Amino acid sequence: MEEKKAKKQEIIETEIQMGTVHPAALEPYRVRFFVEDEIIKDAEITIGVNHRGIERIMEGLPVEKANMLTEKICGICSNSHTWNSVRTAEKGLGVEIPDRALYIRVIVGELERLHSHLLYLGHGCETLAHETFSMRVFYIRETIMDLLGMIGGNRVQYGCSIIGGVRPRCELDDNRIRRILDGMDTVEKNVADFADRFIKDSIVASRISGTGYIPQEQALKLAVSGPTLRATGVKRDLRTDMFEYDNFDYEVITQDTCDVKAQLLMRVLEIFESIKIIRQAIRDLPEGKITDRSWEMVDTGIIESYIEVPRGTLYHSYAIEDGRVRHSIVRTPSMTNIGAMQYACIDNHITDGQLCIVQCDPCFTCSDRAIEVYDTNNNKLDKSILQSNIH
Amino acid sequence: MSYEISFISILEVIITLIIALFIGVLIPGIERKYVQARIQQRIGPPVTSSGLWASIKFLYKENIEPNSPAPGLYKAMPILCFIVVLAIFLAVMPYNYQFMAFSSLIAIVGFLKVEEIAYVLMGSLSKSVMSVNLRFPDHAKGSIRQGLLVSSIEDISSSRSLRMIIFGSFPLYLALFIPAVLSKSIYLSDIVAYQQAHGPFLFTLAGLIGAVIFFIGYMIILNEYPFSIIKAKSDVIEGPYMELASKYRSFVYVTRGFLIFTLGLVFCVLFLGVPPVLVSWKFILCVIVSLILPVIMAAISAFSPIFTNKQLYPTVLTSSAIGVLAMVIALF
Repeated sequence: MEEKKAKKQEIIETEIQMGTVHPAALEPYRVRFFVEDEIIKDAEITIGVNHRGIERIMEGLPVEKANMLTEKICGICSNSHTWNSVRTAEKGLGVEIPDRALYIRVIVGELERLHSHLLYLGHGCETLAHETFSMRVFYIRETIMDLLGMIGGNRVQYGCSIIGGVRPRCELDDNRIRRILDGMDTVEKNVADFADRFIKDSIVASRISGTGYIPQEQALKLAVSGPTLRATGVKRDLRTDMFEYDNFDYEVITQDTCDVKAQLLMRVLEIFESIKIIRQAIRDLPEGKITDRSWEMVDTGIIESYIEVPRGTLYHSYAIEDGRVRHSIVRTPSMTNIGAMQYACIDNHITDGQLCIVQCDPCFTCSDRAIEVYDTNNNKLDKSILQSNIH
Repeated sequence: MSYEISFISILEVIITLIIALFIGVLIPGIERKYVQARIQQRIGPPVTSSGLWASIKFLYKENIEPNSPAPGLYKAMPILCFIVVLAIFLAVMPYNYQFMAFSSLIAIVGFLKVEEIAYVLMGSLSKSVMSVNLRFPDHAKGSIRQGLLVSSIEDISSSRSLRMIIFGSFPLYLALFIPAVLSKSIYLSDIVAYQQAHGPFLFTLAGLIGAVIFFIGYMIILNEYPFSIIKAKSDVIEGPYMELASKYRSFVYVTRGFLIFTLGLVFCVLFLGVPPVLVSWKFILCVIVSLILPVIMAAISAFSPIFTNKQLYPTVLTSSAIGVLAMVIALF
């Protein structure tokens, strides 16, 4: 008779599932915390409940239409997706972009970074259950949202980039430039005030210091990207490799404490750098046209483009055949940061679990790329079985 | 001054109860609208929506059967809590001071303990859908662990409630007994009489420290931020109340408001020596104090993130130590 032996896991480990719907999470995803006395010993994040199949829909669409569709991937970095998708086509087609259009793209890209980082700070404060700080940050963010609405016509889906430049709607006249500069002054002052209060708050400091620690070696091993990586002390920012940013002077911010505090401060400091870039772009904004429509559509092989977006490195890739998109692949920064989110939770209190995930600025809905369906006996269901079960 | 039971006094208690319930359900709205929303520079919800209309609205909602091994007991808990708060309310009414055992600090502590135990029971009796859905393995990455004991988030809430009973509410109970040490009696009648003769305890050193400790304990027992670990949105969400719907949720709202008001009355009796007598200035003072305490509480909670064990243990330990110090001062 086989000896009965209690497995360690079954006795002392308890699993707590959160999600796929949870008020602390902005999006649907499931996280399994494996805990001992409310201390997380391991975590598993599973996404895939909001798959929309955008890459599949893009297949066979005219390139311009597919570019517009990429804007729907994310509500936070909608411009980044359009920008990178357009950039992919421009790279393949060899399109020359007017300098003024490049500058406008940078301005909109940095405004998007501002609103994304402010959303991150607001969500972080909300996860800390500090409602007042959260409200304050969202109040500051409104200025940026209004500016984006002024430039693109919408607050969220402002669709600035098109192949060969930017939409005529996004042209910056003197009035708009003045409003942007005024907005930057306001945001800079308000963020500085907020940061001052936030850093000096001893209770908040006690919650965020040492929480969600991701050591630098682990971050590199997990291929973390963007501000999440830079908060571990790695000076890596893809903007330094992007030709659009060649004429701008800015610092790549890093932090070295590798915890939630570092992640939050990282974003605050990057906000000031973004404001610096926007001011430079407006000061040096070249005259001239904003769209070059002299390009011709040709067939291309697989084209790839990487850009630095607010959350990390964004990858777009497709080929063009008869003016239509083929073999589209989109990889968002959150996809590479999921490992870090799981790692960050370990050895933290369960109340800090969501904070450890949120510190990596997740956008799971944008990362949902594929689904597999299994029946209750754990057998993978193929398409025909699924179709026969649809009523 | 003695208070005799008569038809008039019974009527006074009933009217006081109605006023207490009405003000009680308005308190969450006052906190949200006039304190937190003002601090956060926003308009905030209508003052009547958070407590009053929410309680009325839920009375007419369809009930959802809780996923509980004992649904009847689970649903009875809010009613039990209401009865307990009602008992505390009656205990502080001066007409009941002649029932010495009922109107004593021991009885109030006992009633509050029942209320705390109700949270433990509610947490352990509820297993909401929030923590049991989508039990599938992750095929893409391969599930790291399978076949473990799965705990619901209400279980965490329940164990936290137990922890709060053991040490979290300690400051409040210490603060309750500081007036007893000062007046050398655990009976409310003696405590009130002593203060009417010698002045309110609030203006003594021990009483002042006791009032501060009482306030910390008041926030802890009301599960208000930053002490609301049993219903933290970042993990256990609503905790023990998660599956209470319809009229049961309505009871939760009414009871919470009523408890806030009643603890204000307890403070008035213990630290100001002012019992809630309806037709006098004393009642107005009681109402003002019962409103000031939640207003301060709302302001503090607006500026605090939720505590985890790292912040909670030192806060409770320090408060308890100061409470003990106040008690020692009271002895001399």
